[in-house]
Amino acid sequence: MKGAPRIQALAAVAVLAVLPWLTGNAFLQHMMVLWAIYALLALSLNIIVGYLGELSFGHAAFFGIGAYTSALLAMQWGVPVWLGPFLAAVVAGAFGLVIGFVALRIVGPQFAILTLGFGAILHTVTNYWVDLTRGPMGISNIPPFSLGPIALDFTQARNMYYVALAFLVGGIYICHALMTSRRGRAFVAVRENPSLAASIGIDVFRTKLHGFVVATAISGAGGALYGHYLRVITPELMSLQYVAALIIMVIVGGKGTIVGPLIGALVYVSLLELLRAAGPLRLVVFAALLTACVIFLPGGLVSLWRRLRERRQAPEPSGAPA
Amino acid sequence: MEIVVFAQQVVNGLANGMGYVLIAVGLTLVFGVLRIVNFAHGEFYMLGAYFTYYVTSLAGIDYLGALVIATVAVAAIGVFANQFFFRPLRKEHEFTILLSSLGLALLMANGAEYLFGADPKYVNTRYADETVDIGPLVVTQQRLLVIAVALVMIAGTYWFIRFTRMGKMMQATAQNPEGAALTGINTGFVHAYTFAFACGLAALSGALVGPTAMLTHTVGDWAVLKGFIVVVMGGLGSITGALFGGVLLGIAESLGGGYISLGFKEAIGYAIIILVLLWRPQGLFSVGSGRR
Amino acid sequence: MSALLETRKLTRAFGGLVAVNAIDMHVGEGEIVGLIGPNGAGKTTLFNLLAGSMEPSAGTVHFAGGDCTGFPAHRMAQLGVARTFQITSLFPELPVGENVRVGTFRTKTSGWAGALLRTRAHAEQEREVSARVDEILAFVGMGGRRDLPAKALPYGDQRKLEIAIALAAEPRLLLLDEPAAGMNPDEGAKLVQMIRSIRDRGVTVLLVEHHMRVVMGVCDRVVVIGSGLKVAEGVPAKVANDPEVIRIYLGREKVHA
Repeated sequence: MKGAPRIQALAAVAVLAVLPWLTGNAFLQHMMVLWAIYALLALSLNIIVGYLGELSFGHAAFFGIGAYTSALLAMQWGVPVWLGPFLAAVVAGAFGLVIGFVALRIVGPQFAILTLGFGAILHTVTNYWVDLTRGPMGISNIPPFSLGPIALDFTQARNMYYVALAFLVGGIYICHALMTSRRGRAFVAVRENPSLAASIGIDVFRTKLHGFVVATAISGAGGALYGHYLRVITPELMSLQYVAALIIMVIVGGKGTIVGPLIGALVYVSLLELLRAAGPLRLVVFAALLTACVIFLPGGLVSLWRRLRERRQAPEPSGAPA
Repeated sequence: MEIVVFAQQVVNGLANGMGYVLIAVGLTLVFGVLRIVNFAHGEFYMLGAYFTYYVTSLAGIDYLGALVIATVAVAAIGVFANQFFFRPLRKEHEFTILLSSLGLALLMANGAEYLFGADPKYVNTRYADETVDIGPLVVTQQRLLVIAVALVMIAGTYWFIRFTRMGKMMQATAQNPEGAALTGINTGFVHAYTFAFACGLAALSGALVGPTAMLTHTVGDWAVLKGFIVVVMGGLGSITGALFGGVLLGIAESLGGGYISLGFKEAIGYAIIILVLLWRPQGLFSVGSGRR
Repeated sequence: MSALLETRKLTRAFGGLVAVNAIDMHVGEGEIVGLIGPNGAGKTTLFNLLAGSMEPSAGTVHFAGGDCTGFPAHRMAQLGVARTFQITSLFPELPVGENVRVGTFRTKTSGWAGALLRTRAHAEQEREVSARVDEILAFVGMGGRRDLPAKALPYGDQRKLEIAIALAAEPRLLLLDEPAAGMNPDEGAKLVQMIRSIRDRGVTVLLVEHHMRVVMGVCDRVVVIGSGLKVAEGVPAKVANDPEVIRIYLGREKVHA
């Protein structure tokens, strides 16, 4: 990144870093942590949906796998907590490799159904394998995040926020490096025109698998952070509700961009809170938002902002070509 | 005694399976004619069950009448759903349409939670309580009703598509949409009709199977998945295939749940869909007519 | 001149219909070879077999001495065979420059690890890629169009862009699928020029074409396919007068547009 965009990015990171100090309200700080974690998860799904152009209906399963892995590693085998997210990423990525290897042979709606099936199987297994996962009761009293000898209290939202933010920035950097590289060009080619991509030497299957594994690994890390922050996890993390939430974040925010998932996560977390009184009506609002974006604003909120900016730069009547 | 238990499981599975077949036939029709993979299909099943519940408990109309009302009402809702969620996206990429159907599914499921409440409902009909003795087997009348009505509807659908004018228009639109339009078929009307028909079938399934189980706003989610599994097993566009696939799935689940474990019962459907899709990688919706 | 591409008894059947029937043909390095024949003769099937988008039922294909029979499209491309498509195939949403940049995929190796770690090798690779994109765009005469979205281009430029993308892969053999389709005589003449320039760059060319003026104007050698069989082969002038060739084109004008 050169010039203006780089400065903007650094400025954004600075603002995000300062954010928790702007308010003493512990609840707002809690929301910030949730936003950062969801943003990381949305970013990971965006790799599959936005960059590869495939719709995965099973993404929440990898998020759940990451959460359970990190929790169990810390609680059953005494693995230091700070190592958890990384190991969770490896495990989730391994699942992603196996499932992707099998599922990516077929693309389009069939892939969506297949991932829905795999996600449902993982959900069921997690629910019934009580010896390992404690079944529907879930795992509670998960140790909070800790940096080993460094004595910082990560049950406090403000401190946890920085951990989550660090992973988020890492995730953003990974996505940016990925998409500005030769590998990223292959992703776009495979999304836009698979037969043309093959004709210039791109192995479509391996490219998609590559992206899928990266996405699942990142979501595994996010799951680990979620577990160590909320301290309770259940198999419901792998349910359709979470899948829908992640899809909504990516689509409403703007798929195929880095800022999109961040905005989507912000919208989701904010509305979830603001509309808390409305109960199940909240979910109806989310569904309506999703559908409205799909039909009227396919590029999400990011595209809206882009459109407004273009209109301000070129104040001619709309006869000008886009 | 063992055989009786076995036979009991088979009959229960058969009833469930018939419910699946109705769902699957609707799904396959919608894909064949409209080329839409409709994730919201299960929600119409859910609506059918809820409508039946409210019509019988609030309006006091008898169960059979409620069945008809629910089916017709949900079919009408289907017309609107198609109009607002799919018709505007006619020319879009299948990815977009799939997302739209997801949005519709979420709207319907969560809307149901909001409107009807999250507490489970139980549809009470006298058929669920009264039983029939078939030899040593004891079968509830409801289950027999499910099997009977479903068989009639499936046969009727088959006949309808093969022999009536609208049915032939549906076939034509499915095989070659542009060609069909060129011969003067109003494909928009055929689409709306087919979609409504499919939703009606799903609603009927929900209304029939509803009394045999607990009803919540989430039943639509697994209903649509069962539908996909059956379509995969039976082959696209094949009503007889859906019949066999649905019955097979219902019985397999019932036996699996009875003899192995409840978890197995849930997982077996998903496992089947994965295995079949792997074995037939051209996928669920390969069009056999050899286009392109 | 050694054969860059060689087929032996290459066959493709669809059920009972034999579309390509035991064809032996070769393309020598540095040649421009034309593949012609009436509609339904099997040239498109043969072309697809060579490009790897279809698997042969029997026979072999060798490229640069190595057996590549049945290789899928991306492996053929990795060997150095690039192709264009009959119906214009681009990345319509991407800018022209990005379209060409994607084409350079097989010529480089540094992936996102390099981008992640910001290695010097990666930065240099990207510089080289950008330079190559500009060079190729200039070569096809679209130098000023680098930032336009591909879908905004007129038809003729889109066809040029297709060729640019294929060239970006630095192929040894370029397969052109009806490159002159939809072109007027003026554009056809410019196409002939471009194909010659491509050969001057060191790329061997095989093209399937209906426009005889283009074929006669640019090909060193022509192979004629009829009903799945090789009917004739030779320099254009000889083939044009071959009675067998005239027979299979019976009733058709040999030169159109």
